[in-house]
Amino acid sequence: MNLRLVRGRTADVLFYAGIAAVVALLLKEALTNPGHWSLFFQLAVDGVTLGSVYALIAIGYSMVYGILKLLNFAHGDVYMVGAFIGYGILTLFGGAANWTIPVWLLVALMFGASMLGSGFLGVVIERFAYRPLRDAPRLAPLISALGVSFFLQNSALLLLGAQFRAYPFGLIGQGGVSIRTVFISATRIFVIAGAVVLMIVLTVFVRRSRLGKAMRATSYDREAAMMMGIDADRVIASTFFIGSALAGAAGVMFGLVFTEIFHFMGFTAGLKGFTAAVVGGIGSIPGAMLGGLLIGLGEAYATGYVSSTYQDLIVFSILIFVILVRPSGLLGTAAVQKV
Amino acid sequence: MEHGGEISPVPATPGDAAHTRIGVDDWVAEAEERQRGRGPLVRTVAAIPRPIQIVVFIAVLSLLPFVFSEGNLFRYGLFTLIYALLALGLNVSVGFAGLLDLGFIAFYGFGAYAYAILASPKYGIHWQAEIAIPVVMVGAAFLGLLLGLPSRRLLGDYLAIVTLFFGQAFVVFVNAANPKGLTGGANGIANVDPLNFFGFKLTTTRHYYWFTLIAFLLVIGALYFISESRTGRAWRSLREDPLAAEVMGMPVNRLKIMAFMFGAAIAGLTGTIFAANQTGVFPGDFDISILITIYAVMILGGLGSLIGMFIGAAVINVSYELLSGSNPNPSLGRWLFYLALITVVIARIRPWIRVAVVLAGTVAFGFAVHAIVHALEPSATSGAVTNGGSLSGVMSHWTVIPAHSGASAKYAYVGLVAAVLVLTLIKGWWRAIALIPVLYLASFVWENLLSEQPAVTRLIVFGAMLIALMAARPQGLLGTSRVEIA
Amino acid sequence: MKRRSALVAALVAMVAAVVAVVATSATAKSSAPAAASSASRSLVSCKRGATIGLAAPITGPAASLGQPQRRWARFFVTRWNAKHKKFKITMTEGDTQLPNVAEATKVAQSFASNSKILGVVGPAGSQEVVATTPILKGAGLAYVSGSATRTTLTDGSRSGFFFRVVPPDAVQGPTVARFIVNKLKKKNVLIIDDQETYSTGLAADAEGTLKNLGATVSRDSVSQQASDFSALISRIPGSVQVVYIPWQLPPKAQLFAQQMREQGKRQILLSSDGTFDPTTYKPAQEAYASNFPVSAKSPLIASYKRSHGGQPDFFGAPTYAAAQTVATAVAKACANGSASRAEVRANIRKSNIPPAASVIGLRIKFTARGDLNGGRFGLFKVTNGNYTPVG
Repeated sequence: MNLRLVRGRTADVLFYAGIAAVVALLLKEALTNPGHWSLFFQLAVDGVTLGSVYALIAIGYSMVYGILKLLNFAHGDVYMVGAFIGYGILTLFGGAANWTIPVWLLVALMFGASMLGSGFLGVVIERFAYRPLRDAPRLAPLISALGVSFFLQNSALLLLGAQFRAYPFGLIGQGGVSIRTVFISATRIFVIAGAVVLMIVLTVFVRRSRLGKAMRATSYDREAAMMMGIDADRVIASTFFIGSALAGAAGVMFGLVFTEIFHFMGFTAGLKGFTAAVVGGIGSIPGAMLGGLLIGLGEAYATGYVSSTYQDLIVFSILIFVILVRPSGLLGTAAVQKV
Repeated sequence: MEHGGEISPVPATPGDAAHTRIGVDDWVAEAEERQRGRGPLVRTVAAIPRPIQIVVFIAVLSLLPFVFSEGNLFRYGLFTLIYALLALGLNVSVGFAGLLDLGFIAFYGFGAYAYAILASPKYGIHWQAEIAIPVVMVGAAFLGLLLGLPSRRLLGDYLAIVTLFFGQAFVVFVNAANPKGLTGGANGIANVDPLNFFGFKLTTTRHYYWFTLIAFLLVIGALYFISESRTGRAWRSLREDPLAAEVMGMPVNRLKIMAFMFGAAIAGLTGTIFAANQTGVFPGDFDISILITIYAVMILGGLGSLIGMFIGAAVINVSYELLSGSNPNPSLGRWLFYLALITVVIARIRPWIRVAVVLAGTVAFGFAVHAIVHALEPSATSGAVTNGGSLSGVMSHWTVIPAHSGASAKYAYVGLVAAVLVLTLIKGWWRAIALIPVLYLASFVWENLLSEQPAVTRLIVFGAMLIALMAARPQGLLGTSRVEIA
Repeated sequence: MKRRSALVAALVAMVAAVVAVVATSATAKSSAPAAASSASRSLVSCKRGATIGLAAPITGPAASLGQPQRRWARFFVTRWNAKHKKFKITMTEGDTQLPNVAEATKVAQSFASNSKILGVVGPAGSQEVVATTPILKGAGLAYVSGSATRTTLTDGSRSGFFFRVVPPDAVQGPTVARFIVNKLKKKNVLIIDDQETYSTGLAADAEGTLKNLGATVSRDSVSQQASDFSALISRIPGSVQVVYIPWQLPPKAQLFAQQMREQGKRQILLSSDGTFDPTTYKPAQEAYASNFPVSAKSPLIASYKRSHGGQPDFFGAPTYAAAQTVATAVAKACANGSASRAEVRANIRKSNIPPAASVIGLRIKFTARGDLNGGRFGLFKVTNGNYTPVG
C-alpha cells in the first residue's frame, strides 16, 4: 500500500518546493525587517537553543517508540523530574543565590544527578507500568503512560508545591559572545554545545557498542532479536535509561537557560518533543535531533517574523506539510507494511 | 451490546495463551482467555437475557434524578453521560476503524461553539434546538470530512500527529486568533440559550440529564446497528488489517472518512448539550486534558465495545468526583481510602488465612507503633486528624499523627510508592508479611499528607488507578478485540 | 434476526418511556424555581460554627495561582478559629482546575447542593464567574472573588450575588495608561498579553486609554504556558519605549525581564498586580507594577510570611479579604443561631471592613453591583525586589 498522499515525484517536487518557499520567505523577511540580518541571526540563536532542548526530549520519545512502538506520554514528566533534581542539587549546595562549590563542579553534579535520577526513574516506569503490558493491545500502555504522567505531575505538586522554582540566571557566567550585533550568552553556548556532545556520544554508542547494536536489532524485530540470544528486557530497560537520562539533561539545560521550572512544565515540552520525534521520523535518532532543531527554529522565526500569537499554528502547519509530503518523517524509514 | 461476542473463536492449541506466540492471532488468544477468565459476577450478568439487561439499565439510569440531588446529578450523572457520549464518538474512529484520532475534542469544541454562535445574544441569533442540533451535527460531520481528506492516507502515529495539530489549532483559533471577535477569545461566549425544543426549554439539570440520556440511548442504538451493518464490519476489517481490507476491494478511503464524520457528528451533538448546559463556551474546556479523559474512558471501557463506553465513563467520572475535596462530607475520602486498601488486600491475597493474618497484623502493628512512638516522643502523636468524621477517633489512636509532620510525611510518601512497587515483585507469605508495615505506612501518609490535599490526591490516585487497571485488564473492562495500528 | 427485532423493540420502548418521564416532569417543572429560591431562604442551624466554600484552581496548569489563594484562605480560617472559639469556620475546598471551566461548574454544583455552605470564596477566573453564575445564583449563594477582574462581571446581572475585593480592569488598565503617558512621558507602548482572560481584559482597557491619550500602541500576545520569550524580545523594535506585560505569573515576567536584559533591550517594563511578587519578580531594569494599595509592611502580611517560609504570596492576599468578607457576614447572620444564604448575601452587601483590617489596604465596602467602593490601584517602582509606591 502506498502511504503517500501525493506520490513519487510529485511529493519530492512539493517537498523541495516547500523548502525553497520557506527559505525564500525567510530571506525576504531577513532583508525587509528593520533588524535585517542581526534579527535573523538572533532568532537563529533563540531557535537553536530551544531546539536543542526539544531534540534531547525527542530522542527519548523516538528511542522508546523505535523499540516498543509505544508513545511514552510520561516522558515529558521525566524531563520535569530531571529539572527538579538539578534544582535539588543546587539547593543542596547553598541555593540559587550563593552556591558553595565551584560552578563547574556544581553544574557537573546537577547534570550527573539529574541524568542518573531520571534514567533510574525511566527504568522504574518501564518495569512497573509498561512491562506487564508488553503483549497487550497497542493503546493499553498509552493509558498507563497517561496514568504515570498524572502520577508524576501531581506527586511533584504534592511534594514540591505549585510555585515556580528558579535556577539562577546566568549560572554558567553572565558574559557571552558578541558577533557584531548578535549576542550569544555563555549559558546558551554551553547548552547548545552540551546537547551536541550528548547527541554525538549517543550516536557513537548506538552505532558502535554491543548494547547499541542490540538496541537496533531489537527495534528492528524484537522476536528475531530474542531468538538471536538478545535479552530484550535488558535492552528495553537500557533504552529507557538512556532516553530518560537525556530528558533529565534536557530538564537541567532548560533550567539553566529559561530558569523557571514547575510541576506542569513537562506537558507542553512533552508535546513538542513528540512532535519533533514524529517530524524527524519516529524511531530515528538523527531524525529526532533534526526534528527538535526544526521546531525550535520554526517557533523562533514564526514569533520573530509573524507573531507569537500564531506561533504554534505556523509551526504545526509546516509540520503537517512535512508529514504530507514525507509521510514517514524527514529521516524515518518508509513504513513497510508487513503482510 | 458487546459486539463481537457471537463470533466463535477459532480453537487454538490449548495452553499456549500465556506465551508470546509467533504467528498465532492475538485476537484469537484473547477471545479464548475471555471465555475462561470470566468471573462469577460477569457470568451471572451475562446469563440474564439481553432485553432485560437493557430494560434494567435504562430504567435505573432514567430514575437517577429522583434519587440524586441537583448537584450530584450534575456531577455524577450528567457528566458521566457526556463523557460516555464523547467516548462513543471517539470509539467510532479509534475503536471501530482503528484510526488514532487525537483531534477529536475539536469536534466537541466545534459543536459547542457553533451552538453558542447560533443561540446566544452574541449575534442576536436564537435558533431552536431542533434546528440547531441537526445543523451543528452536519457541520461537525463536514469538519470531520475536511480532516479526513488529508488524513486518509496517513497511518498510525502520523495520523495521530496531524489530528493532534487539528485539536491544538482549534484551541488556538478560538482563543488567541479569534477572527473578528467571532469566538470571544479567552472570554468565550456567555449567556448561551438553553436547549429549546419547539418552545419547551430545558432549564434544570434534570432536563439536561434526561435529554442527554435520550441522546446517549439513540446514539448507542444507532451505533449498534451500524457496527453490525456492512459498514461496521468493513470498519472492523479495516482496523484489523487495512491492507487486507484494501485487497478485498473495500473502499478504504471512504470508510476512513465516514468514521471521522460519524465520530465528529456525535461529538458535535455532545458539544451542543455541553454548551447549552454550561450556558457558555470557553477555550479552556476543549484543551488536551479532556481528550486525555476521553481516551482513558474509551480504553478503560474497552475499545470497540459500546456499553463499555458507559461503564468506562462511570468508573472514571464517579471515582474522580468521589475523591473531590468539595464533597459535603470530607471524611468520605478517608472511608473510601481505607475501604479500598481492605478491598485490595481481600482481592489480591489468597488464601483466606493470609488475609486474616494481614488484617489482624496491621491492626496490632499500628497500635504497637503508636504506643512505642508515644512513649518515646509524646508530641509525635499529638496531631489532630484533618477532616474529622466518624473514623477520626480510631485513627488518632492508631496512626502516628505528629503535630507538625513536616518533611517526614513527604519522605514517607516516596517510601510508600517504592514499597508498593517492591510488593508487586514478591510473592506468597513474604508478600503478606511485608504488606503489614506497608498498609500502616499508607495510613500514615494518608493522615499526614494526602488528606490535607484532596485535590492533588485525587489526581494521584487517578493516575495510579489507570496504571493498575491497565496492568490488570489491558483490553479494558469490556474490551473484546484487539486494535493494531500499524 | 429475531434477537435483533427484540432489541429494537426494547430500545424503542425504553426511549419512549424516558421521553414520557421527561414529559411528566416537564409539567411539574414549576417546582424547580421554587426549590432554588427555597435553598436561598432555608435556614441552616449554625450556633457553634458554619461552613463556607472555596473555589480555586488547586491543581493543573494554574495551580501556582490557586495554591497561594488557598494558603491565604486557610490562613484566614486558622486565624479566625484561633480568635473565635465559639464560632468556628469550616472551609470546603473545590478544585476548579483553571482553564477547564467545566470543573468550576462541577464545584459550584457541589456547593449549591450542599445546604451547609452559606457563602463561597471565589471562583478565581472571570470566565469561571460567568459559567458558575447560573448555578450559584440559582442556589442563592453569594460568591466573593479575590481575582476575577473582568470589568463586565459587575454589569448588574449578578448584583447582590457576586462581589469582588479587587478593583476591575477598568480601574487598573487606565491607571497604568495614565501613568505611562502623564508621569513617564512615554508615547510608544507595546502591550503583550498572555492569552488568558485576566490579561486580555487588562490589555484591552489599557490600550483604549493609551490611544485616547495619543500614544502609539502595538499589541502582541504569548501563551501563558510559553517558557521562552527570546524570539519575541528579539523583534521588539527600538522605537518602543515601554513594554506593558499585564501577566498573571510573576516568574514568567521575571524571565521576560531577564531575557530583555540578555539581549540588551532597554525599554521600561510595566506590569500588573498579577506580577506583584517581591520574592520572584525583581527585574534589574527600570520597572513598575500596579497593585491595589497593599502595604508590604502590614502586620498581617508579616505574620503570613512568618508561617509560610517568607513567601508573601501577594496574589492570594485578596482571597484572604474575600474569605474575611464571607466569614464576617456568615457570623453576623448566625448571631441568632441560624442563617440563610439570603441573609449572608444581604450582610455581604452591607460589609464594612476598615483598610487596616483588610489585607488589601482598601476598605471593603461594596457598590450595588458588587464592586469595591472607591477601589483604586497604585503604581509601584520595582527596584531589586523593593516595591515603592510612586503614584
